[in-house]
Amino acid sequence: MADASPSPVPPILEGIDLRKTYRIGRVDVPVLRGASIALRAGEWVAILGSSGSGKSTLLHVLGGLDRPDAGAGDVRFRGESLSAWRASRVDRYRSHDVGFVFQHYHLLPELTVLENAALPCSVGTWGATRLSGTDAVRARCTRLLESCGVGHRLRHRPAELSGGERQRVALVRALAADPSVLLADEPTGNLDAANGAAILELIAARHAAGLTVAMVTHDAAVAARADRIVRLVDGRVEDHVN
Amino acid sequence: MYPLLLAARYLRSRLIPLIAVGAVALCVALVVIVVSVMSGFLDMLRNSGKSLLGDVIVSAPLGGMPYYGQFIEELESMPEVEAATPLVDTLGLLRMPYPAGNRKEVVPVQVWAIDPPSFARVTNFRDDLYWQGRDDDTRESMMPDDPRLALGDSLLGQGANLRDADGQPGIVLGMHVSIANARQRDGSYRPRYDWFMPGMETVLTVVPIGESGRVGAQRDRRFEIVNELQTGVYEIDKNRVFVPLEVAQELLQLDAAPVVDTSADPGPDGNFPVIGTSPARVTKVLVRASEGISPDALRSLVEARLTAFTDRVNGDPTLRGRVPSNIGVLTWEQQLRDIIAPVEKEREMMRILFSIIYLVCAGLILSIFWAIVAEKTRDIGILRAVGASRLGILSTFLAYGLTIGVIGSAVGVALAALVVRRINDIHDAIGQDAPTWSWVAALGIAATASVMALRYAKRGVLLRTLLWSITAATTAIIGVALLLHEGTLIWDPAVYYFVDIPSAVDWPTALFTALGGILFSVVGAAIPAAKAADTDPVEALRYG
Repeated sequence: MADASPSPVPPILEGIDLRKTYRIGRVDVPVLRGASIALRAGEWVAILGSSGSGKSTLLHVLGGLDRPDAGAGDVRFRGESLSAWRASRVDRYRSHDVGFVFQHYHLLPELTVLENAALPCSVGTWGATRLSGTDAVRARCTRLLESCGVGHRLRHRPAELSGGERQRVALVRALAADPSVLLADEPTGNLDAANGAAILELIAARHAAGLTVAMVTHDAAVAARADRIVRLVDGRVEDHVN
Repeated sequence: MYPLLLAARYLRSRLIPLIAVGAVALCVALVVIVVSVMSGFLDMLRNSGKSLLGDVIVSAPLGGMPYYGQFIEELESMPEVEAATPLVDTLGLLRMPYPAGNRKEVVPVQVWAIDPPSFARVTNFRDDLYWQGRDDDTRESMMPDDPRLALGDSLLGQGANLRDADGQPGIVLGMHVSIANARQRDGSYRPRYDWFMPGMETVLTVVPIGESGRVGAQRDRRFEIVNELQTGVYEIDKNRVFVPLEVAQELLQLDAAPVVDTSADPGPDGNFPVIGTSPARVTKVLVRASEGISPDALRSLVEARLTAFTDRVNGDPTLRGRVPSNIGVLTWEQQLRDIIAPVEKEREMMRILFSIIYLVCAGLILSIFWAIVAEKTRDIGILRAVGASRLGILSTFLAYGLTIGVIGSAVGVALAALVVRRINDIHDAIGQDAPTWSWVAALGIAATASVMALRYAKRGVLLRTLLWSITAATTAIIGVALLLHEGTLIWDPAVYYFVDIPSAVDWPTALFTALGGILFSVVGAAIPAAKAADTDPVEALRYG
């Protein structure tokens, strides 16, 4: 086990002995080789690692976007095993229990800022009559967008925004359904120093309010903002730095 | 709901779905237009056929059927029969009143000898007479030089009774029997060279054929033309003439005649003694069904009645005439089988051939959707990452296909309705030279497009150069084609049965075609939609 100092607080999200192999052509490429990680509620963990070490894959597996190899490890959320869930519960886990932020923003170009932000809420229910969700969702997303400094851009399309603004919208989208865990994959990787710092401040503010954060980065300065740093080497979580 | 909302958003913000909508619309319109015109053609054929023949036709051989008066009385006493009328049909030669001089033109005709009052009860004879005054609504739409505007009801009365102004037997000609009637673009007729047929004289030549089948000496009879008849079925309008029944019976020796005993000695006046009367004969009886009785039902009833009638007449030794055993009883549809069946088969053939269009449509949708899904791979990954289910992704793209199918089919049906309703106007427009503005406009656009193509070529922008060049070439070809176009009469009434192209939309076919268009759009979208739903979100985000 990588975590050498177990806490009395039970982990909110846990990856246990995760193995993941990709097949590229006729060659099997192991990416995760028994990685284990535990996130305690309210904790900010930075996952450091070199390019190709499996950081993004670990985040995808933790977020229910990808699965570990059959019988090779398990992901538990609040003690429940994701592999035991039905597909619809995993979909809901992705929309409501965790939120993803990607390096490349990944906004839908046809939707407005507000609709992009509300997406987890609108795809999480079949009853929505607007892409921007119910009145409550719209009000919450508008408030979040305003607090992130993009409140004046509600009806704009992503193509009309700067990189920093796009990442703010992506962050609001990750927080739209009020998840317990934020999974951020190099959220500042595409931004200049000022915009990167601003995003980190926004994440820090949410973290201060109790949000659990797992952030993949290869930037030690960014990792320094976290409560705890783990390092991914050769598909295993090898060490931790407090 | 979000799959629908998302599909609607994708639809609005891209050009490619418009191409798909256009493709579905054109496929649907094509099928609806072709089948509508063919069905309309068939309906016109059936209606004209029925209105000219009644519902059931009793046909005797050329020798004729005796005691037809009694038979008709018996038929008319049946509640299923509205009316019945006797008829003699034969072939004849008609000496036309033109050209001037002694060498007149002679045309072959099919002669129908009718009893006007009862014939009018069974068929639409009176309504089909062309030279008659029309009601005010019709008069308003007539051209000011239409000769019918000056007509009173005298010609109608003469035509309907087959009598001229002096009460002598007259003849009614099919509208195209004489070459004097020039058809105008609005479907009306003008006499050529002042050859206005009513009032002119003709000579009809027929040949009597005995019961034994022996051909007798030709008989001529002078008739005044009292009116002309337009059924709209060219075959009939070209060949048929109508004369009074009793005149034709006399000419064809089918009238009642004394029977003499040639084995006895001649009387003091040199004639053989008369021993009875041979009854008058007709070759056909047309029967019209009462309201709500189908032709097939009536046919069985008439056949049964004919059998009983034949047995009674032929079993009565006191009667002179014999009802022949080979009398046929057919419905109007069976009678016209040789005209209707080929058209029906053609329509079904067209339906099958044009159904292949559906496959083209489905293939088109499939490839367009394949492109859309390929382009949207990253979006699918994003949607999955924020919690969209596979079903949600599948539904989004199916809704996309459904929407394209519904809009495309609706546009297609609307387009087809527009074209079918205005098809005679379109045909008339094709029949005239193209207006100057049309080719000037086309060549103008071509010139502008050429300038644009050159400008982009100089700047080295390939795509725009190509697009403008294609526009220039296409409009130039259209312009030159319009410039060279001379009026072409595509639907020539001399070739087709009818004077107008049918212009009613076949709504059941339109509905069926539209549903087919929607179905094939959804099927075409289903494969890429399933592919989208199966997309691995991680792969989609990484490579999309």
